[in-house]
Amino acid sequence: MRFFQNKKPTKKEKEDQKLPIHPTLTENIDKMKQLFSYDINKDFSMRTLTIQQDQKKGCLFYYGSIVDGAMINEHIIKPLFENKGDSIKNIVTIENVEETTEFKTVIQNINSGKAMLFVDGEGIAYAMDVAKFEHRNVAKSENESVIKGPQDAFTESLNVNLSLIRKQLHSKHLINEGIQIGEKSVSEVNILYVKDLVNDDILNNIKERINDINADTVRNLEVLEQYLEERPYSLIPTMLYTEKPDRAASYLEDGFIVLLMDSSSACLIVPVTFWSFFHSPEDRYLRFLYGNASRIIRLCCFFLTSLVSATFVAITNFHSEMIPPDLLLAITASRERVPFPLIIEILLMELAFEIIREAGLRIPNPLGPTIGIVGALILGQAAVEANIISPIIVIVVALSGLSSFALSEVNINFTVRLMRFIFIIAGGFFGMLGLTGAFLLFFMYTASVRSFGVPFFSPMSPHFISSNDTIFRSTIQKEKYRPDYIKPKDIQKKG
Amino acid sequence: MQNNGFLKTREIFAIALIFVSLKATDSTPTLIAQKTQNATWMVPIISFLLILPSFLLMIYLLKKYNDKNLVELFEAVTGKWIGKLLGLVIFLFCMSALMFESRNYIDQIKVLYFHNSPMEIMFFLFIGVVFFGAKKGIEVIGFTAWISFPIIQFTAILVIVLISGEVIIQRAFPIFGSGLEQVLTQGYSKAAIFGELFVLLIAYNATKESRMFRKGLLLAAFVGLIEIVVFYFVYITVFDYNSIQKAAFPFHDITQFISFGNFFTNIETVFMIFWLFAAFLKFIILIYFTAWIFGTIFNLKSFEPILLPISLLTILGGILPFNSGLTELVYHERLLAWLSLFFIAFPIVLWLIAWKKGELKA
Repeated sequence: MRFFQNKKPTKKEKEDQKLPIHPTLTENIDKMKQLFSYDINKDFSMRTLTIQQDQKKGCLFYYGSIVDGAMINEHIIKPLFENKGDSIKNIVTIENVEETTEFKTVIQNINSGKAMLFVDGEGIAYAMDVAKFEHRNVAKSENESVIKGPQDAFTESLNVNLSLIRKQLHSKHLINEGIQIGEKSVSEVNILYVKDLVNDDILNNIKERINDINADTVRNLEVLEQYLEERPYSLIPTMLYTEKPDRAASYLEDGFIVLLMDSSSACLIVPVTFWSFFHSPEDRYLRFLYGNASRIIRLCCFFLTSLVSATFVAITNFHSEMIPPDLLLAITASRERVPFPLIIEILLMELAFEIIREAGLRIPNPLGPTIGIVGALILGQAAVEANIISPIIVIVVALSGLSSFALSEVNINFTVRLMRFIFIIAGGFFGMLGLTGAFLLFFMYTASVRSFGVPFFSPMSPHFISSNDTIFRSTIQKEKYRPDYIKPKDIQKKG
Repeated sequence: MQNNGFLKTREIFAIALIFVSLKATDSTPTLIAQKTQNATWMVPIISFLLILPSFLLMIYLLKKYNDKNLVELFEAVTGKWIGKLLGLVIFLFCMSALMFESRNYIDQIKVLYFHNSPMEIMFFLFIGVVFFGAKKGIEVIGFTAWISFPIIQFTAILVIVLISGEVIIQRAFPIFGSGLEQVLTQGYSKAAIFGELFVLLIAYNATKESRMFRKGLLLAAFVGLIEIVVFYFVYITVFDYNSIQKAAFPFHDITQFISFGNFFTNIETVFMIFWLFAAFLKFIILIYFTAWIFGTIFNLKSFEPILLPISLLTILGGILPFNSGLTELVYHERLLAWLSLFFIAFPIVLWLIAWKKGELKA
């Protein structure tokens, strides 16, 4: 029976929404009261007034919680009482006034923070933008911190985010296009791109996919990401999620597309390659050699975090002959009194590390220091002293855990952390044979992934003309091309 | 088949080079050394020189008959049925290579690193990885080959550099080993070790332009030859002619000799990893191309479902012969000698037919 109850809006509701606005004010007021449940909905406000110009009755509707009260007083009510003019548009001093004749648009406008003015004898309503949604101020980027480079981060406001991007990229070709999604609660996805660079096929593909989303609500970008991606069960992310406006701007300059939503303090960049996840914005701000040095370290971290535990398991279990004798003796001595097989030991410790990380993330701030003490002391020191874990395992796991933080992008971070467990099991099963096989398959799977039609390892393979910003970057002067794998309209950067 | 024209010269080069040059690391040198002793390293050169004209002729024919791959070319030149028959011979060559060589590779891994593990399970594991890898399609194989190519080459060069202390050049003399005649006959009868180059021709239309394919393949053939010769030369100068005849897996025996300073003395596993990576890739390429040939012969629209039966057949055929020494030394050797004649002769015959039919003038 639930299936039947779960129907879309009733026929009557839909008809109500399509209804045109009535010429008489009292009819409209009744309708509005009914649509917005005026009698029980406390923050829905209504203000009747008499317009000075022609002594007609008027009525103003808005949500008190999402509009700027002072602005309504100063720029709508006061002018209506005092000023004269030939039309409402010329009386009020609001920057943006739109007319509408349908209740559907009236509902949308009120929900997005506009005040609606109905005038007696007129079959139209005036939408006046007085929205004031509360949001955080622009703050320092916390999840993608850099030492050298702009520090500001996106916040939960579309206008603020747009201004942060436009501040970085002064171009008349930078377009911000809105697409509305959601059936019950309509929200807007803003697509940013540079008009004379972006590839129209990719742009249209993204627009189509956004239009194809069939959902009651898409509250924010994080949910949108999951609606848009092609392979929801895949380990590999296909969109870049970043909170740094300078990063978004640098991708826009290359012809990529940026998605923004009002309620998210980040943006999505599409299409992406493996390298987008591997790079950090700071690589480009640091001088050539310093930037590339940090890339080498990050590459090492990538391999360390995904493979060091698995390699340790494989080598000690299957290829112990390759460990130099002194080291082998040290390892054996430290494991002498440990009861578990090595792979159990590693898995236990990796799991413990993941627990510390997950719990540390969720723990309320005042309790933060406690977890550090508990985690480090109990899991490190005590476990070793109780002969549950050998000290060398602590080192290996700490190394792999620490390295994972170098890959700061949240999606790829999860990818390597989860792959680590698969690799450990593969390494425990047929040593290096299993591990090499697992890594090869992982690699081939990654190579087969496409993000909006772009192969994941381009421009390395398949090869495309680009600035060759893959593992290493070249000097700024030599970066002459935009990446050809997204087929930008203009591939030459300069000269 | 997933193909969006992303493959270019470099991917084909990497595929072909990994495919061909891995010959340097299996048991073929031991096979050759039985007769030619310390002139083993010359045999691939002779083989290559013998097979090169035929190979160039094939490429020439493919260029003339535009937009056709190997089997389609057979059919275009010799008619439907004989063409399919020729294709079938190539297919059987691939299948036999799959079975013999996978057995050989599993033996290498087992003897050197997993003495106690059951061979059947290792077979399933190895071919399982190969199967899933091949499922990803030619493009992904190409990307993977190219990206892993530098590191595989780097370790190969590292092996040569680290072993150079053990090399005694004088062991290369007398230069013709057991005699020039032996070298030449062996060079002829082992010409089939480059027969795999013909298998690659099935992918003639996989690249963006066929010019890229020809360039990549020819370049890889020459570089592959150099690598094989260098490795064979190292084998005989390190082991000398007596030991090389008894070293079943010369590449791995060489890595056992290597040490990196005084602390890291047993680093063969490091090389084994990259060798294994290349070996997986080689079999992925081989199995994929085998399925491709089969698919073209029987006009299958999508040949990727064939990969599973071929993989299972490989495992079955690989496990069957219980004595791997016998397989390697007797059957494989005979097979190679027969196939050598085939690979040298059939392109010439094809060319003659095409020429007589007057289809080469355009």
